[in-house]
Amino acid sequence: MTRSARSVSVLIVLGLLAVLVAIPVVQLARTALASGWSGLGAALGSAQAVLALEHTVLVSVMVTALAVLGGGACALAVERRPPRVRAVLRLAVISPLLIPEFVLGFSWAQVYGPAGTLDHAAGITIPGLIGPAGVVLVLAVHAMPLAYLVIAAGLSARAEPELELAARASGAGGWTVLRSVTLPLLRPALTAAAALVFVTAANSFAVPQVLGTPAGFATMSTLIYGDLNLSAAPNVFDQLAAVALEQTVLVLAAILVFGLALRRMQSTPVRGPLPSGARYRPGRGRAAGRVTGSLIGLYALIATVIPLLALIGVALTRGPGLAPTPGDWTTANFTAAFTGPTWIGLWHSLILAAVAAAAVTLMSLPTVLGVGRRARAALGAGVMLAYAVPGSALAVGILIAYGRPLEDSALIILIAYLAKLWAVGQRSLSGAADRLVPEHVMAARASGAGALTALRSVVLPPLRAALLTGAGLVFVLAVQEVTMSGILYGPGTETFAAVILNQQDLGSDGATAALALAMTVPLLLIGALLAAGPRRYPRLSGIAA
Amino acid sequence: MSRAVTALVCRDLTVGHPGTPVLRGLSFTVAAGELLAVLGPSGSGKTTLLHTIAGFIQPLAGEIRLADRLVAVAGGRRPVPPEHRAVGVVFQHYALWPHLTVLETVAYPVRRSGASRAQSRRTAAELLAELRIEHTANRRPNELSGGEQQRVALARALARHPAVYLFDEPTAHLDAPLRGVVLGEVADQRQRQGAAALYATHDAAEALAIADRVAVVCDGGLAQLAAPAEVYERPASFAAARLTGPASVLEPEHSEGDGATWALTIGDATAVVPIAGAVALGADGSATRWLARPDWVCLSPDGPFAARILAVAFHGPYTDYRLETAAGALLAREPGRARYPVGEHVRWSLSQTWPLDAAQPPSQLAADVPKLAGRSSRDA
Repeated sequence: MTRSARSVSVLIVLGLLAVLVAIPVVQLARTALASGWSGLGAALGSAQAVLALEHTVLVSVMVTALAVLGGGACALAVERRPPRVRAVLRLAVISPLLIPEFVLGFSWAQVYGPAGTLDHAAGITIPGLIGPAGVVLVLAVHAMPLAYLVIAAGLSARAEPELELAARASGAGGWTVLRSVTLPLLRPALTAAAALVFVTAANSFAVPQVLGTPAGFATMSTLIYGDLNLSAAPNVFDQLAAVALEQTVLVLAAILVFGLALRRMQSTPVRGPLPSGARYRPGRGRAAGRVTGSLIGLYALIATVIPLLALIGVALTRGPGLAPTPGDWTTANFTAAFTGPTWIGLWHSLILAAVAAAAVTLMSLPTVLGVGRRARAALGAGVMLAYAVPGSALAVGILIAYGRPLEDSALIILIAYLAKLWAVGQRSLSGAADRLVPEHVMAARASGAGALTALRSVVLPPLRAALLTGAGLVFVLAVQEVTMSGILYGPGTETFAAVILNQQDLGSDGATAALALAMTVPLLLIGALLAAGPRRYPRLSGIAA
Repeated sequence: MSRAVTALVCRDLTVGHPGTPVLRGLSFTVAAGELLAVLGPSGSGKTTLLHTIAGFIQPLAGEIRLADRLVAVAGGRRPVPPEHRAVGVVFQHYALWPHLTVLETVAYPVRRSGASRAQSRRTAAELLAELRIEHTANRRPNELSGGEQQRVALARALARHPAVYLFDEPTAHLDAPLRGVVLGEVADQRQRQGAAALYATHDAAEALAIADRVAVVCDGGLAQLAAPAEVYERPASFAAARLTGPASVLEPEHSEGDGATWALTIGDATAVVPIAGAVALGADGSATRWLARPDWVCLSPDGPFAARILAVAFHGPYTDYRLETAAGALLAREPGRARYPVGEHVRWSLSQTWPLDAAQPPSQLAADVPKLAGRSSRDA
């Protein structure tokens, strides 16, 4: 790779970062500071804003604690099992990730909420589901697979089974091994998982909107959305910009803190040859294995399977409160849901998602191929930081920066998608690029291939799977994106997500359930692929991490 | 300190998955103070055997006794967990904990045995000084050289004061000079503490040099268990012969003998060759394939057999010749520099030989007699 190609790549990436993220955030800050620091202070000092900050921090901290505890326990219980059992248990643990955040919140409310399916059938509800407790609970369920994936990756990368065997052979019992060897080795993974979950929870919009707003419980994301929808008065907009800026600062500060903590633990991989061949694991009690297996199965049933079944039931049943028996079956909800504007919204979403997937793939190439490993890490960090900016704040910033020239154009939603989902494509590709062997290109060149031929014949083929995975993930995530398109859509540019949000606002559960089902199908397909080909699993986990 | 006479007994040990066992019906005894080398090619189940004795794997059948205590019996009561077995393990890849310093690592087993924090650190520091790596006390594994990592792993095992040490190819990843140092240390420490040791290796020279007895493991079974000289001179099978050192196989046109000496006909010459170790073979112990170790072949003008030199390799202390004979290819080894060029026709004789497919193998091959510690000259 020549020097000039390198600097061009770096310039492209920096330019895109500036257009997609830096300018919107700067514009957001300018608007928030329109009436000076005192104005910002006043906006943030309002009772509403203070409450939203408190709620966001409270929810994020509790979700982080719950998800990291649960994800860590699952990783320890699942990862050391025999491969076949492990594949099944893994799918059970990550199953909530296969349901879009909005759908998860909605379906939980439908099945476990007051006047929900279980309430009608057996009088069972989860107390406080509509309100702060429910927001924390469902967000923790949604984020636990993320924590699990990060911790499981750390477990296989750092906690070699041999290190635990060595502790056993040194006289340590099971609990002592966990306390003195396994957990200390996992500290970086636990910290990384906590950072990921905290940012996800602080940025989340769909679950607080579905479960918190009806109870008058607002987080920063839902406050921004509500203010934007309810009022066009300029002073309200200034306050909303102030809250969006504050949310951005909160998340970036959290990342800074977690990042510094991670730096201090600086991973110290042991040198020396890697163990080869199959390794035995100490057989654990079969009974204990069966108990953890059933517990995880029960969890997947409550978290994913029952809500999904209830969702199907609600979508297929004539009215609220009726039993989902064949006599009450109807397709009316689907007919009602899929009317003119829905098809248009779906069409918009599919096109936007396809364009975003293609563009993100192209945008990821220079960060991955144009530069060396170290520059790739630095640029990757920039892209990830862009991903961390809260969706609602980013959308408001993009609205301020590009709202006027791009009024009533779907391009403004595309900008938001590219800014947010770039990291997904980049992440998926850079993992594969790190595994490329530089000598392969040299060997191709020494065998008579030109630079482009070498790229086409030995560099891109091993990246094909990663490119496809990244593009597919961007597509799926774009179709189900709610936060930013909910803020940015205008007349004529409704997305599928906007249609669902409006449908849910109208309170027609059957039609919302029908739309939610349609939104879940693509992800479930990915889940089926996961189940069919567990070998692909590490690559996907790398992206989610 | 009173120790049991037998440190380790394995009886009918079968390990692996039902239907595809990795180890099949292994039985052997290791006396206190004895060093048993487990010699086998990679993938033969050496690590599996060591991990079974340590308690990481439960056997499908058979039983294990450590220091006269039954620790594992298949299908029986709950096996004793690894932390309650009197074993010290040196892992193949050392398995040093990346988050602990050297001192903390070596103090770990002492602490687990109930010593106070301060006491365990003092003990660990003493051990490090004994192994002459006290300067590494505050380093972490990634700041250590290969030899230092190896010694830390050794110190951690020593700190347990076990009845049996289990070494899993501890020198496989060290260069030759360092190996010598480490091997000396193992022998030294083991003798001082009086414990027995199992030493898994795929290197015949290493096994023969350090062990009191050698267990040749092949295809999951015990091919032979005997003193180093025995497995070298009188291997139980062709496979065992190949594992225990450089081996050439002669297929003479004709062989006949009375038991202690045999007449081999190679080419146009016939010569009488004694059986290795002067063991009497039965009169019907005729064989078609005979073992020739390189040091049993003498190149001299008055040797009975003819050969042509195919290749010469000078190794420093000795020179290897690859010979072409009427009974097959043959490796010969002589001290000093090369005396003959490639292509030269030479004459040779055989100082001893051993039948590789005797119809009636000598009876003592199957014997499993524990050899008590009486080989200190070799140990030192």
